[in-house]
Amino acid sequence: MVPHDPERYSRQLLFWGEQTQRLIGKGALLIAGVGGLGATVSQILARAGVARLHLVDDGVVELSDLQRQSLYGECDLGRKKVMVAKERLRQINSAVEVVAHDYRIGGTGTLPEGIDGVADCLDNFAGRFALYRAVPEGRFFLHGGVQGNQGQVLTLIKGASRPLEEILAGCRQPEGIIPVTPGSVFVIAGLMAQELLENLAGTPKLLDRFLVVDLAAFTFSFLEV
Amino acid sequence: MPGSCSSLPKPPAVRVQIYGLLRLLLGGREVLEIPWQEGDTVGSALEKFQAALPVPVNHRLLDAAGALHQGTIILVNRRNILHLDGLGTVLHDGDVLALFPPGAGG
Repeated sequence: MVPHDPERYSRQLLFWGEQTQRLIGKGALLIAGVGGLGATVSQILARAGVARLHLVDDGVVELSDLQRQSLYGECDLGRKKVMVAKERLRQINSAVEVVAHDYRIGGTGTLPEGIDGVADCLDNFAGRFALYRAVPEGRFFLHGGVQGNQGQVLTLIKGASRPLEEILAGCRQPEGIIPVTPGSVFVIAGLMAQELLENLAGTPKLLDRFLVVDLAAFTFSFLEV
Repeated sequence: MPGSCSSLPKPPAVRVQIYGLLRLLLGGREVLEIPWQEGDTVGSALEKFQAALPVPVNHRLLDAAGALHQGTIILVNRRNILHLDGLGTVLHDGDVLALFPPGAGG
């Protein structure tokens, strides 16, 4: 549990109050992937005062990451993302416990125990489906995806919602590098972080419905699943 | 008779919801209603959908052989058609067909 700190959290306490802050302050989340979406999602959660963040990624920081991955800079090139992310998040909020897991989702690694939910910040469908299968029953699964200047966010409850693999049946990874803009990544990551906090507070807004964001047309739409 | 127009039966139709790049191709159009008739399937509805549009879009959904592309999911009343009967899924009056190309990256 993150200690109550009225000064640090004064702005958000004015908005959501102490009860919600207490729920957030005892939350434990797994962030699968600390690339474009995961770097910003984990940063927002650390700033908001989540108790524990498990970061899972086996990648290193590359030059092409810096246009959208908000926890990294030129000085980090070649370093393991989870280790850099852990350092930065601890600098942002030292009261948050950050656990780095250097493995790839879908491999032999297992999910840590004691998590309230999972944030799917991965960049491929096979990894997403493997992650969903590994999530314990009853825990929430927050999916995010981004491509070009559009993206989507969706909350599922393992065991109660339709499985992600059923909803996204037929989706295979596009060939080559996925085009993505900095703005779309930050927008989708911000929405994901907001929905993760809503889940911790017990008030998910996107349970069993996609929020589809299109920055080409500046539209937000819902899609029930 | 006053008010009689509002009681006319609505012609049978399927509501097609469009998302992402498809919407952009259609000039921001979000929904299209296409006429329904007994025996319509997802496949025949997509043909009607294409016929009602000024620009080609079905090549974004189907390959040259008429099989589904892997970049767009098609839902009928919230269910992926690959968990129903695919393009042969039978439609009913009032069904909602959603065409959604999800973002793949992270």
